[in-house]
Amino acid sequence: MNIKFVINVLGFLLILTGLLMLTGLPFSIYYGDNDIFVLLLSGLSTALFGSFLWFVSRKNLVKEISKREGYLVVTLGWFLMSVFGSFPFFFSGYIPSFTNTFFETVSGFTTTGASILTDVEALPHGLLFWRSMTHWIGGMGIIVLSIAILPFLGIGGMQLYQAEVAGPSKDKLHPRVQETAKRLWAIYVLFTAVETLLLMFGGMSLFDSLCHSFGTLATGGFSTKNQSVAYYQSTYIEYVIIIFMFIGGTSFSLHYLALKGNVLNYFKESEFRFYISFTALVVLSTSLYLILHNDQNIESAFRDSAFSIISVISSTGFATVDYQTWAPFFTEIFLVLLLFGACAGSTSGGVKMVRYQLLFKNSLLELKRLIHPQAVIPVRQNSKAVQPDIIAKIGVFVLLYFFIFAIGSVILTITGLDSTSAMGAVAACLANIGPGLNVTGPVSNYSSVTDVGKWVLSFIMLLGRLEIFTILILFSPSFWKK
Amino acid sequence: MNYKVILNIIGFLLILTGILMTTGIPFSIYYGHDDIIAILISSGISLLAGVSVWFFTRDADRQQLGKREGYLIVTLGWLSMAIFGSIPFVIHGSIPNYTDAFFETMSGFTTTGATILTDIEAMPYGLLFWRSLTQWLGGMGIIVLSLAILPLLGIGGMQLFSAEVPGVTKDKFHPRVKETAKRLWGIYVILTATEVVLLLIGGLNLFDAINHSFTTMATGGFSTKNANTAHFDSVFVQYVFIVFMLFAGMNFTLHYFALHLKFDAFKRNTEFKFYVLFIFLVTIFIMFIHRPHHEFELEESFRQTLFHVTSLVTTTGYVSSDFENWAPFSRMIFFALLFIGGCAGSTGGGIKFARHYLLFRNGFLELKRLVHPRAVIPVRFNGKSVSPEIISNVQAFFILYILIFVFASIIVSLLGLDFASAAGAVAACLGNIGPGIGIVGPAGNFAALPELVKWILSALMLIGRLELFTVLIIFSSAFWKK
Repeated sequence: MNIKFVINVLGFLLILTGLLMLTGLPFSIYYGDNDIFVLLLSGLSTALFGSFLWFVSRKNLVKEISKREGYLVVTLGWFLMSVFGSFPFFFSGYIPSFTNTFFETVSGFTTTGASILTDVEALPHGLLFWRSMTHWIGGMGIIVLSIAILPFLGIGGMQLYQAEVAGPSKDKLHPRVQETAKRLWAIYVLFTAVETLLLMFGGMSLFDSLCHSFGTLATGGFSTKNQSVAYYQSTYIEYVIIIFMFIGGTSFSLHYLALKGNVLNYFKESEFRFYISFTALVVLSTSLYLILHNDQNIESAFRDSAFSIISVISSTGFATVDYQTWAPFFTEIFLVLLLFGACAGSTSGGVKMVRYQLLFKNSLLELKRLIHPQAVIPVRQNSKAVQPDIIAKIGVFVLLYFFIFAIGSVILTITGLDSTSAMGAVAACLANIGPGLNVTGPVSNYSSVTDVGKWVLSFIMLLGRLEIFTILILFSPSFWKK
Repeated sequence: MNYKVILNIIGFLLILTGILMTTGIPFSIYYGHDDIIAILISSGISLLAGVSVWFFTRDADRQQLGKREGYLIVTLGWLSMAIFGSIPFVIHGSIPNYTDAFFETMSGFTTTGATILTDIEAMPYGLLFWRSLTQWLGGMGIIVLSLAILPLLGIGGMQLFSAEVPGVTKDKFHPRVKETAKRLWGIYVILTATEVVLLLIGGLNLFDAINHSFTTMATGGFSTKNANTAHFDSVFVQYVFIVFMLFAGMNFTLHYFALHLKFDAFKRNTEFKFYVLFIFLVTIFIMFIHRPHHEFELEESFRQTLFHVTSLVTTTGYVSSDFENWAPFSRMIFFALLFIGGCAGSTGGGIKFARHYLLFRNGFLELKRLVHPRAVIPVRFNGKSVSPEIISNVQAFFILYILIFVFASIIVSLLGLDFASAAGAVAACLGNIGPGIGIVGPAGNFAALPELVKWILSALMLIGRLELFTVLIIFSSAFWKK
């Protein structure tokens, strides 16, 4: 194990975290808030500690690393960032319990958007900006960002990239991983800028539109208002956010191909077709129900259902209405939606469409294989045959996912949550969505969860964001065996 | 497709059903109950239908029996048995509604044990005996019984056997399927007889002892008492139930070896070790977390917990107290147990230990494979390595199981059940367990459900009993091609 390299990269990540913490300062100064000192202190101490790590490990550094170092750097990196990232909240005294600050920061970095704050608006602007910034960094991934901006990572970059972007399909935009990372971040910045402009056009302040754009594109879900997006009472703003949540749930390599070439490239990808038709189906049938049974007018029924459903599928977690009050069975429907997730290669979390698509196809083909036991019948995706070991790996992923979901729900019920809230909370945290059901539902938050529950959920959020294997592998004995 | 042979064998199954229906008559005569005529008429109907179908297809070529015919015979055979088996309840009038009678019979044959009867003790004994007998027949499988006693099924027998007993890995006692079937039923009868004797010693009368032995060994769960097994209120009887539920949930191959004093087989059987360890650890865990909520003595607490864990895990479904209300979190824990299932080759239903074990072991090895991407690391089971095709089949089974569970729960909750009850009813029926949670929980029953829900649940019971593929394959287009 190349421990030196691990420490060196961790040092860099902390320097980066520290510097990014300071980005909210202009807003604090402008609004005359009292968090300037805390932000400076936390930012500089984080950067200083990072420099220290970097300094002690800089000599005789070998940049050759294997998969193991990749997994270790990414897991430890995300953990350390969450610890240091929670300093501003903790030392400012706005979130006095460390459990709560850690939960909030993990929820930020993993783009979950589950909050323990009951009064978001009481926070000063610098802290709120940092809170939304954690989303934005975590959405595309801080490792991907480091690869894009730090030239020194070199060959090791690919191992790190694969540990952070662990999705089932790895389409590289460029043979060099640094170029791929640059392109991904460029599109990400571009979309964020466009959304910010559109939101400002809808009457939001620069601060709010930036924070909400961060929360949307990262499919995070933190808002700067207690009522989330419902605060603005604006049809236009809701539609803008609906569209950008959907964009956040789409593969960013696909965005790149579509923007560079032809917009129709979107529809050449089978997963995207599945994503858009699945979403459309659920949204339209829900709208129909709202129109027929709840007497809503057509436009608001469509908007409410599109907002809530796309928010959950894309794993964003913004809320405008309490969907659980539509009808009793929507609790169950949303629990199922909480287990979905959007496209691989997007900023969204969860199991993701392509995994379900492949497993579903494989299960149907299994019936065919039973009738023709001698035939080799591969699963096809985008008219190419998929290797059986990829299918097998996806099967393992989904199994582990459901297992973590089940065990997590049982633990959360033992800590005192009712079963629906527990399942909702675990599903929402594992898929990095945010609001779950009942006590942790769209009109509520996680402040009532016990401390043990919050630590369990924080761990689950990290597991979900790094797609399970990256973290679990550290617990397997073969990882540590030389 | 050789339809003649399909009809011919279904004719046989109906004749068998008609004959077996009358076996409860001695009890009716002895206790002077009024169901003798109803049973005789129903038996006559079954016999008439069976004999006429058999007569018109008597020139069928029984050697012409492929996989497809096997799947069709088993699915349609079980369906017709449930249709004809429900006639006595309707004719006698003790279950006047046909939906209810069909549900009860399907629940019997599939060894689910979900009941719509609110006053079981009001039923005449002939019918009660038939109700328990359906479970006993369904437990080891009526096709397996036919293979054992009817000489007429030649080569085709294997196709039928593997369609009714799909299992995970095939273990045969004997190269000839007829001999295997005979041995399986032999052990089944011996174990049932032993339990009858022990229950008689425990103070049950002959009728109750036989009925309960039928439903224990079949992992069914029907009782002749309203209070289910709690009625007997005897520590000895409860332990007898626990032990025999454990026996019934084990692979019957192991019993065969045990009877021949070859105990090595237990040591080599991975699934058996996993089964015992799981039940033991889960019992201790549940007992431990429930201690503060109970006034039970230590022994009683252990016994009650072990009883319910065994009952749910082996998919029997006996209850002796309302476990859902032991503590606020009990519901969730017992709900999770609905997804385990007995061992492969047992009379238990559900996903089964072998599948869980293979999926887990494979999930764990996947972490190893990530560290060593080039190594071929197979899963080992009972000392042999398992081929990737079997793992893939198990994964497909698991995915379909979860998929069916999710979709059925949504449909059932759309039809008016609350969230927990819908999920509980579907999980309990698909796993052939019986009581679920909520209104269909240990303290409730299935009487109050809407008609359509009962039909859906009946279908789920059959799909679950025949391990998904046997039924689902009939709906695949590849099945009907050519």
